[in-house]
Amino acid sequence: MLRHIRVNDLQVSFNGEEILNHVSFDVAGGEMFAIIGPNGAGKSTLLKVILGLIKPLGGKVSFENDNRKTVIGYVPQSRTIDEETPILAKDFVSLGLPARAVPWLSARERVTVQKAMMMTECLHLADKPIGKLSGGERQRIFIAQAMVRQPDVLLLDESTANLDPNAQEQMMQLVQRLCRKHGITVIFISHDLHVVKEYADRVLFMSRGHYEIGNSDEVLNGKATEWLYHATDEEKPKTIGLFREPAGQLTDHLF
Amino acid sequence: MFQYDFMQHAFIAGTLVALMCGVIGVFVIARSLSFIAHTFSHIGFAGASFAVYVGMDPLGGLLLFTLLSALGIGQLGVKMFRRDASVSVVLSLFLGLGILFLSLSDKQANFTETILFGSVVGIDMQDVWQIVGLTAAVILILAAGYRWLKFDSFDQIGAEAAGLPIRWISIGFLLLMALAVSVTVQIVGALLVFALMTVPAAAARCFSQSIFGMIVISSILAVLGVWFGLSMSFYTNAPVSFFITSFEAAAYFIGIAYRYWLARRRVPGYQR
Repeated sequence: MLRHIRVNDLQVSFNGEEILNHVSFDVAGGEMFAIIGPNGAGKSTLLKVILGLIKPLGGKVSFENDNRKTVIGYVPQSRTIDEETPILAKDFVSLGLPARAVPWLSARERVTVQKAMMMTECLHLADKPIGKLSGGERQRIFIAQAMVRQPDVLLLDESTANLDPNAQEQMMQLVQRLCRKHGITVIFISHDLHVVKEYADRVLFMSRGHYEIGNSDEVLNGKATEWLYHATDEEKPKTIGLFREPAGQLTDHLF
Repeated sequence: MFQYDFMQHAFIAGTLVALMCGVIGVFVIARSLSFIAHTFSHIGFAGASFAVYVGMDPLGGLLLFTLLSALGIGQLGVKMFRRDASVSVVLSLFLGLGILFLSLSDKQANFTETILFGSVVGIDMQDVWQIVGLTAAVILILAAGYRWLKFDSFDQIGAEAAGLPIRWISIGFLLLMALAVSVTVQIVGALLVFALMTVPAAAARCFSQSIFGMIVISSILAVLGVWFGLSMSFYTNAPVSFFITSFEAAAYFIGIAYRYWLARRRVPGYQR
């Protein structure tokens, strides 16, 4: 079982622009961990570094796992599926299986796909073309595809964006069940503070090189979050951030 | 018609090429590479003309030019070559080069017709074996890399997220396309390669909701089209390519009508 993920002093730059500036935090095994912050704060980049798709300039991500190499499932943002895409939901899920040099699936692989679809409660969609599914149903299929590798960690990049409130609620309840029932560590990015408040055990706040972690009440009730999500552009200060005082209290810093 | 050796050769070679195009075409359509396939055929024309000019086997020239171009396009990135302007520039440049090489060599008339429009009747047993070898290589590589290619073609963001080497998959597929184009040019000619490589797959998309179903239907349509073309051409003396493209186009329009009919049946009051 995964004990924890340790992100230590990560630094990432693109074309000379600093995206991640000495970020450090721990995520406990089986935790629902949210990342919030304005666009361009480096949230997706952080997930890609954890996943190993982006190599950091400095720092590292380590996983402490009891008995196996940590497997990560990732559901990326902005995945567009054409309505005419000729692929059944079960075939789409099977794309996520570790590839072998044979075109057909083994009986064991079929069972794995079926299990992943059962866990994500979308087995009834198996024989439907993915292009014909609703946004919420597609998100379930995307999560099922990430689940076929039986991951220890699930990274969700704005998976509930563009869903109606009802579908959003159902999606997050599903993710929470995966986390609580199967012990999967979930790290998710969201701009929806209601979702974060309701489902996250802890929250990482990121904004222009400032990072702070706290429980959802601590982070979301601060003025920084209020400015970040509710103020108009004219009202917003140049930089906003959360800092932890030596006494342990989170305070807002507006510049 | 099967009493003639040339028709036997034409049917064997045509069937193999059609099977290969039927399979590879599904991925060409999924990856939106139709016009790169068309560009490859013109690059192949320049390659074959160059080969004739320097006294090489035309197939060698076809392979040399198309494979080198596949590597070049793969290195520069496919996105750049999906742009209309890039395709027009590369296509015209190689067409011009082909014409230059032809004007410099002494086999102009016969060869031009063969390479531009194909020549099924001129296929001998040695050509058949060449086609068998190249087609088998393309289909075997496609089968071995099927899962990677399927993931990358139908869910590229997911494939990248899963850590697949999408750049190498892209280059590998372009090389396979180059091989397939080089073989197909000999049957249907440079001008119609992309008809056999894209129309059956586009038609199959109307009839099937699964990738495997698309591959099967696309291959069947491609093979039937080639058989129809060869038979009709034998009896009427009209060009094979005309009958092949007519058959495939008919299949495509029937497919569109079928999809329209399905949509109307599912949704009362559907209008499009």
